[in-house]
Amino acid sequence: MEDRPISLTLRIVAGIMLLFLLAPVLIVVPISFSADTYMAFPPSGWSVKWYVAIFQDPKMINAFWVSLALAVLTTVLSLAIGLPAAYVLVRLRPRGSEAMASFFTAPLLLPSIVLGLALLVVFATFGLLGTFQGFLAAHLVITLPYAVRVLSTALSTLPRAVEEAATTLGAPPLSVFFRVTLPMMRNAIVATSALAFLVSFDEVVLSLFMSGPRISTLPVEMYHHVENEADPMVAAISVLLIVLTFAVVVVVDRTAGLSRTFVK
Amino acid sequence: MTAIAPTLEAAPARRVKIPLAVILLIPITLINLIGFVAPVINLLSFSFREVQATGAMTGGSSIASWVAIVTDPFYIELLVNSILTSLLIVVLTLVCSFPIALLLHRTTGFARTVLLFVVITPLLTSAVVRTYGWIALLLDGGVINSLLSLAGLPTLKLIFNSTGVVIGLTEILMPYMILSLLAGFRRLDPRVEEAALTLGANPFQTFWRIIVPLTLPGVALGSLLCFVLAVSSFITPKLLGGGRVFLLATEIYDQAMVTLNWPLASTLAIMILIVFGGALFLYLRALRAIA
Amino acid sequence: MLHVPVTGSSESAAGEGFLSVRGLNKRYGDFIAVDNLDLDLPKGELVAFLGPSGCGKTTSLRMIAGLVPATSGRIVVGGRDLTTVEPYRRDMGLVFQSYALFPHMSIAENVAFGLKMRKVGRAETEQRVREAISMVRLTGKESHRPAQLSGGQQQRVALARALVIRPSILLLDEPLSNLDAKLRDEMRNEIRDIQQRLGITAIFVTHDQAEALTMCDKVAVMNAGRLEQLGTPVELYEKPQSPFVASFIGRTNRFAAVAKNGAAELAGLSIPTPAGMTGKVEVMIRPHRITLSAPADGAPCHAVEGVVTRSIFAGDILQYEVVAHGATFLVEQGTAAHERPLEQGSPVRLHWLMSDTYVFGAAA
Repeated sequence: MEDRPISLTLRIVAGIMLLFLLAPVLIVVPISFSADTYMAFPPSGWSVKWYVAIFQDPKMINAFWVSLALAVLTTVLSLAIGLPAAYVLVRLRPRGSEAMASFFTAPLLLPSIVLGLALLVVFATFGLLGTFQGFLAAHLVITLPYAVRVLSTALSTLPRAVEEAATTLGAPPLSVFFRVTLPMMRNAIVATSALAFLVSFDEVVLSLFMSGPRISTLPVEMYHHVENEADPMVAAISVLLIVLTFAVVVVVDRTAGLSRTFVK
Repeated sequence: MTAIAPTLEAAPARRVKIPLAVILLIPITLINLIGFVAPVINLLSFSFREVQATGAMTGGSSIASWVAIVTDPFYIELLVNSILTSLLIVVLTLVCSFPIALLLHRTTGFARTVLLFVVITPLLTSAVVRTYGWIALLLDGGVINSLLSLAGLPTLKLIFNSTGVVIGLTEILMPYMILSLLAGFRRLDPRVEEAALTLGANPFQTFWRIIVPLTLPGVALGSLLCFVLAVSSFITPKLLGGGRVFLLATEIYDQAMVTLNWPLASTLAIMILIVFGGALFLYLRALRAIA
Repeated sequence: MLHVPVTGSSESAAGEGFLSVRGLNKRYGDFIAVDNLDLDLPKGELVAFLGPSGCGKTTSLRMIAGLVPATSGRIVVGGRDLTTVEPYRRDMGLVFQSYALFPHMSIAENVAFGLKMRKVGRAETEQRVREAISMVRLTGKESHRPAQLSGGQQQRVALARALVIRPSILLLDEPLSNLDAKLRDEMRNEIRDIQQRLGITAIFVTHDQAEALTMCDKVAVMNAGRLEQLGTPVELYEKPQSPFVASFIGRTNRFAAVAKNGAAELAGLSIPTPAGMTGKVEVMIRPHRITLSAPADGAPCHAVEGVVTRSIFAGDILQYEVVAHGATFLVEQGTAAHERPLEQGSPVRLHWLMSDTYVFGAAA
């Protein structure tokens, strides 16, 4: 496509809107380095004391470890469960594959507040509230649709001929999958892992419903913290989360591609 | 041979091995049944549970929650308020997102990647983080008001009211709108725009008569998505509303976690789904009208 | 165990080829992709499956390889019935149009893959891989990735990978169609050389008749799922058995006529027709078998008066359009020095041998 000059008006208007879009993400950076004990702008002085404060807050540290373990396990299980599902939907194509694909991605259509409440009510009866397993199940419900979608897209763009070549060379189906299909899906698997990890690590609505007095995740703790006071410690945590998010976006860009993953 | 050959010859479907397919699908089906289908069905039945004044359930059934929602002026106002606020947010999101999406559509190469980063990084950033950023910006002693007083201007009440909620949600939903618009812009052929320009249309006429109509499907999709997300979001309204802005989603959370009236919370949640059904219906109607 | 030796396998029964296909069918719902294919290929020959897009040639090849299950029929190679054998136990080497190299493996690993699957020892694997790579003249590229090679080089890797397992049959699915014209000629000779050197039985799927005619021992012409004719290039050209073959291979003049009492009328001539043929027929004559002067040896020929209506000089040949008794003939003449093309309106007399006249019953 030929590049057409982009009008100055569009550049200026879009620039202002982009600034608006980035404002809340950018503003936390200076605030996180504030030396004040409350939120003020511009800060009266600069310091890293709020970053230090994170590590002295046992609640935040505990919540961080829970979130990390949860995100890692959710990621592993999303791949272990999502990959076979994508393989069936794209390669084996049993009757009703399309309907099944919609069914597996349907939880994404349900607003998280409704899903959160629905899970709260059911998990309460099974004693899963405030448990790690409860969190894990809830997170899987929303990471699996992403996993199935990204992995299916990747699988459907893999040339069949390469797998067929392996077959004619004497590789039985399982060998074809592990020696050819899986290595060729490496990028998609990396992208899926990054997304599943982030979705789980950032998830707050479902976690709010699932959390109990003994166990809670980092975003939930941040939410409760902000609800009560708006000191710059949350800004410090936010900066760390933004860095993590940015890293995930870089990974997705380098592997699955941003346009292919996010622009349908 | 690729161009004309029937796809049958190019990609013959493999013989379906039903048992293998079934085995591989068991885990995801179980998760979906346990974590999605059963809870949602259960929610429906919960909205007909009887509840005592203390919030404890009696085990009997009742339509009290439903009666409350359709008769109590508080809930009716809540519903109307939620819908109107969400509609306002959708309009603002659309206006703010359109220029960015158009710019993205016309950009190629490295600049496009940078722009996509700028759009997708906020999308994947936790709502808590972004809402916190808005608190920092909108607070009485926050960035905006500090700057205003430095300039000798009167400060504004931007937070713990609807204004704050609308500003925050508009920004938070922008990435969704931008990506939906971008998907819709695929229909936009630069040659059509050029044709319009060569036919004597000025850039504004081109925008209104060519670009806007061609991008309506993307607009409709983005609007539906953002409306749904606006009606159901509660982190941002909760934190930026400071407990003074009452919306469907925040009420569900309060009923579920504070008052512990789960039947009422369930009824409100179903109410949200009904609102979605209505939005989806309008979307499909609109899509047919556009196409 | 998986490996069917190329030499020393039991001689197949008389009348059957090394590869024998019987009543092979493939249906997709109502669509018949391959219709009752019978085929016997002798050992060591290179046979082309030639036909237009969608004629079933690729589907036939894929059924032989086992990648597509046959709806019905039998496939026997060297006396071994492979009909229900899994594709990974068939021991056939398949070269794909898209090369289908493993992008995550080096060239050497690509070539070694089939040997690894056969659990061939390391020393032997190394030696056979080295030989295969040198056979396709890629020595020195062993550690490269496929993406670092040109299209022609990639196709040679695919060839080496398919041959290193010493397959019973080499299958080539339009292996040259992704290459540019010059490379295509080169690869054509290379494939033919290697095939003859190894004495391997090979099937070559193509839609390019020049490819099929110039490099293959035999050509199976397919159309609409059916085998129209299997024969040597000369047989197909000189003795086409169906109007499709006559018109698909080379250029031809086609005329509709009606057969009555052992003859059909064309341009005022009476063309003898095979015994028992009546009703609508098609008469075909190759443009370059029509001459402007009578044959010197007095061989029996047809002759008709006409007028040149168009004259085209195409370098190596002269093409004339001649109208004779209402029928339009395309005539091709080799050019010679000092020869002036006939001008439009020139009267000419066309001659062609009786034996160069093909008459077919009209297609049902």
